[in-house]
Amino acid sequence: MSNLIIQAENLHKQFQQTQVLTGLDLEINAGQVVGLLGTNGSGKTTFIKCILGLLKASSGTSSIFGQNSWDLDESAKAHLGYVSQDSALLPWMTVQSLTEYTGAFYAQWDQAYVNSLLKAWNLNETQRVGALSTGQRQKLSVILALGHHPELLVLDEPVASLDPVARRQFLQSLIEFTEDEDNTILFSTHITSDLERVASHVAFLDAGKLGFFGELDTLIHQVKRIRITAGQDLPHSLKLPGTLRSEINGNHALLAVKEFDVATLENLSHQFQATTTVEDLNLEEIFLELSGVSSQTEVETIQ
Amino acid sequence: MAIKATQFEVHPSAGVPIYLQIIGQINAMIAGGHLNAGDMLPSVRQMATVLGVNAMTISKAYSKLEGDEVVERVRGKGMMVRKSVPAGSSRERMQELKPLMEQAIVHGRQLGLNNEQILAVVNKLLQEYQP
Repeated sequence: MSNLIIQAENLHKQFQQTQVLTGLDLEINAGQVVGLLGTNGSGKTTFIKCILGLLKASSGTSSIFGQNSWDLDESAKAHLGYVSQDSALLPWMTVQSLTEYTGAFYAQWDQAYVNSLLKAWNLNETQRVGALSTGQRQKLSVILALGHHPELLVLDEPVASLDPVARRQFLQSLIEFTEDEDNTILFSTHITSDLERVASHVAFLDAGKLGFFGELDTLIHQVKRIRITAGQDLPHSLKLPGTLRSEINGNHALLAVKEFDVATLENLSHQFQATTTVEDLNLEEIFLELSGVSSQTEVETIQ
Repeated sequence: MAIKATQFEVHPSAGVPIYLQIIGQINAMIAGGHLNAGDMLPSVRQMATVLGVNAMTISKAYSKLEGDEVVERVRGKGMMVRKSVPAGSSRERMQELKPLMEQAIVHGRQLGLNNEQILAVVNKLLQEYQP
């Protein structure tokens, strides 16, 4: 078996007139912990549902464990854990009976492990599911997705309603999950500090396509903000490779680049007798630069 | 003297990859005499659990340190700090230090400190980091 876990090729999905996925390619290998980032409406949930076979792609192919997403067999599903954004749980069941009920669908359900998670996450097993808060329901959904020890965990904004304590417990269980080095996680979230802790890779969706995919550390190494003060007026464009944003005002410039390279910068400071400072960016700032939030201001200054 | 995972700190949102933060702290502990040749590093698992970061990140830091010959893998026991053998002639090593010192001196000047005051700071730090 190859260690390719998720594969999507030229994936398109259209809802009536709206194009959501516009040719998405992505390959995720065993052992990777991939954070899926993107602005609202960039196609994260649609992508997740397409690869899991919950939505039929308009065109293109996608597969999980080498099986066509639309045609997953029992063994693939037995190795898959999924938490959706709006998990529909049976409200009239108690927490305990819902875990046992869910377990009945899996050959390798580990009720002892589930009970220990319920305890660790302070969920009362005698409570009715309908009476749980949104955050508690999210916790329960995550536990239900872990109970059969899946090899692939797919989480669609699983922690949006969790308090900081529960979020840290959730991260801890993800870290435990990845102790088996072949286990794979794909999870979308807007909480970038969580990703910085657990993700090995980041996939960035931009208007239905893959804007960036690579190691988190590489991303942090390569995306930098540069401030330049030159002895003379700077040209309108400095033509640095991989420029995401460029604001040039007389002899000052503020740039964001995605292919930072020390040598290029040294050349630049020689050429314009400039002093330069390079700013490290965290994932949230990188996310903002990659989404081009600041690029509108660039247009204004040019006009 | 064994070092504990709780003695490390990571700042996930600092803009510096976490594995580099860990490498930096281990190097600083060695430079400061808190970690000596023969000391063991905490296990990858302990570090991952205590710091709340992916175990792969810790492995990556340890592998780099191993590659830089700062630590060595001891079968069945983990990572052990090696005796440091600085590479290059002393002249080369001094050359390597120069740009870092330059930064510190420029900053000292900006703060309006004179030579003696700057040297006093350096001497105080040298006291703290006894070889």
